[in-house]
Amino acid sequence: MKGIVFTEFLEMVEERFSLEVVDGIIERAALPSGGSYTAVGTYPVEEMGRLVGELSAATGAPVPALLHAFGKHLMTRFTQGFPRFFAESTDALGLLERVETVIHVEVKKLYPDAELPSFECTREGPDRIVMVYRSPRRLSDLAAGLIEGCAEHYGETLDVAREDLSGDGQAVRFTITRGGGT
Amino acid sequence: MSDPIAVLERALERERRARKAAEGLLEEKSRELFTANQDLRALAGTLEQQVEERTRELALARDEAVSASRAKSQFLANMSHELRTPLNAIIGYSEMLREDAIDAGDEALSTDLLRIHSAGKHLLSLINDVLDLSKIEAGQMDVFLESVPVGPLLADVVSTIRPVVEKNGNTLELVAEGELGTAHVDVTKVRQTLFNLLSNAGKFTSNGRVTLTAGREREGDRDTLVLTVRDTGIGMTPEQMENLFVPFKQADASTSRRYGGTGLGLAICEHFCRMLGGAIVAHSEPGVGSTFSVRLPARQPRAEHPSGSFERPARPSRGAVVVVDDDANARDLLSRTLAAEGYTVHAAADGEEGLRLAREVRPVAITLDVLMPQLDGWAVLSALRADDSLRDVPVVIVTMVGDRNVALALGATELVSKPVDRERLASIIARHVKAPAEILVVEDDEHSRDLVVRVIEGHGCTAVCAQNGRIALDRLAERQPAAIVLDLMMPELDGFELLERIAVEPALRAIPVIVTTAKTLSREDRGRLEGRVQQILQKGLYSQSDLVKWLERVTVPLAEAP
Ligand code: HEM
Repeated sequence: MKGIVFTEFLEMVEERFSLEVVDGIIERAALPSGGSYTAVGTYPVEEMGRLVGELSAATGAPVPALLHAFGKHLMTRFTQGFPRFFAESTDALGLLERVETVIHVEVKKLYPDAELPSFECTREGPDRIVMVYRSPRRLSDLAAGLIEGCAEHYGETLDVAREDLSGDGQAVRFTITRGGGT
Repeated sequence: MSDPIAVLERALERERRARKAAEGLLEEKSRELFTANQDLRALAGTLEQQVEERTRELALARDEAVSASRAKSQFLANMSHELRTPLNAIIGYSEMLREDAIDAGDEALSTDLLRIHSAGKHLLSLINDVLDLSKIEAGQMDVFLESVPVGPLLADVVSTIRPVVEKNGNTLELVAEGELGTAHVDVTKVRQTLFNLLSNAGKFTSNGRVTLTAGREREGDRDTLVLTVRDTGIGMTPEQMENLFVPFKQADASTSRRYGGTGLGLAICEHFCRMLGGAIVAHSEPGVGSTFSVRLPARQPRAEHPSGSFERPARPSRGAVVVVDDDANARDLLSRTLAAEGYTVHAAADGEEGLRLAREVRPVAITLDVLMPQLDGWAVLSALRADDSLRDVPVVIVTMVGDRNVALALGATELVSKPVDRERLASIIARHVKAPAEILVVEDDEHSRDLVVRVIEGHGCTAVCAQNGRIALDRLAERQPAAIVLDLMMPELDGFELLERIAVEPALRAIPVIVTTAKTLSREDRGRLEGRVQQILQKGLYSQSDLVKWLERVTVPLAEAP
């Protein structure tokens, strides 16, 4: 997993909780990298799992909620770091439709070792798309946070219905409707 | 709770390690970038080098091709010059001697001379084939359209080629389907195409039949001349027909050994037909025979020359022609040809002499060789064009080498290549020479007549005389003059009566008439002349310039006509 995900995650923990919490979860997670992350590096994805698990233990918040919150946080960073992608779409559904076909394609060019999910995207109507998330990393909660962050960026309300197609989180269907559920 | 200092120290330590890792990664990346950059530069370098090499190779190949083609053209031009010079003499003199032999009734000699003549012509045609093809390939082949009666053209082709076709025991027949009329075509190319097809037919047929069928298809505003050459010869297989119109590709190598020929003929025919806006198609069956059909538009929409202008004048126009050529044979042939056409020929052996003669005799036309020592043809041409009194004299360049377009651009009237096609030369000159207008002078008084004739001839026209109305009517029946100068008081048939006769002849009514008379005209007289004469000049009262002015008016449109 790309270092930027780790540095952003730890930054979020420090902002929301404290440097002490950051230090605590790193110490307890006993990570091979020692918790020294640089945005330009690449680290085992398991370390992220352990960090999130330790954070849940330390704060009592469930892992899915933490990933969701992290997704939202990450999206605010993406809007700052990659403004071009957001300028190219006029609304949230438009941007989400382009994650698979444009955004992650560009990400892969920038970071050839990035491990990205796949999204199968279909438009069901002017206000509805269906995205099927597939990834062995089972980060659909992160995806849900990213989607929400995306809606916030465009000042929209999106109704997101989620269905686990595989039963283990490797394939999850998001049905996303604009305008809060109509 | 953990020690805040220890937390900070650990965070700092993590940051430091992260920074070092980042620096390491950065260095690794920049090293990668550096090598990638070097690889790219090397690649760009070799690419540039490759492009340069390719460019050089291509430029070299192009230069070689250009110089090879130039060398080829030069070689062909030289060769044609070298070969055509003696041929020129052979063809020209054998033709002339043959005419003498015919006049003398010596049939055997005339037949032999015909053989020499046609052998020469055949050789010439081979040379011309090669030249034609190289010209076609170089895009330098011009189309030269003229109006010709189709029947006589075909009859001439058939009679020329007959010995060739009949040699193999074949019969040759010309079949005209319907009225063939006159066509506006490039005669040389049509002749050459037919010669080729007919001699091929004769070559590949023995004891058989060769037929040239000619017809005219008129459909809407399309008018097509269809010429078909059919033989009962060995025919061709579909494979043999594949490369039929491709130069240098005869059916197979053995064909050329057995049947001869350059293998260029059909390729040239095909090119010619296309240049004339037509097409040629072949049908054949092995053992049965072959058919070649040529379809040509009989009227070219954009005629280069007005139709009819090429027909030989009914009567040779008189006038001086200056022939300039350093080669005695050529000069002699040209002079004889033009003299036979009724011109007075003044021959000059070099440019200087030619110019001098031209200034002296004021010719109606000049023929000019290009390759001459000292003052060459082009120099003479520009001197002529710079001379006010000679500027308008038509100059026909007669040359073995030379480009028609260049010649025309330099101010020549036309270019004729050697050996000279005598008929073509004659028709070109006839076309460009302002044929002197012929004026009929009807006058019984000898002195008055001489005076008028002198004015007319001084004006560059020719005069035909009649002593009275009756003789004038005879003359008018022979041919129509451009104008009539008429006296009124004459024996036998007087001027008034003559005018009455002319008035009822539709063909003569339009001829302008001027009356010169010593008679004081009454009212009644004037009434009889009204509407029938253009002007009345009172003898003793009119000046020569009055007559000249009138002549100018009535002859200008004629003289200006192309
Ligand atoms: C400008 C917009 C975006 C950028 C620049 C971006 C970039 C990235 C990057 C760098 C990663 C990490 C890959 C790795 O660590 O190997 C990633 C992962 C991910 N991205 Fe995006 N992304 C964008 C938008 C989105 C959106 C809108 C979604 C949700 C629909 C999304 C869903 C995910 C998920 C779920 C992952 C985690 C990897 C996985 O599940 O296999 N991304 N993205």
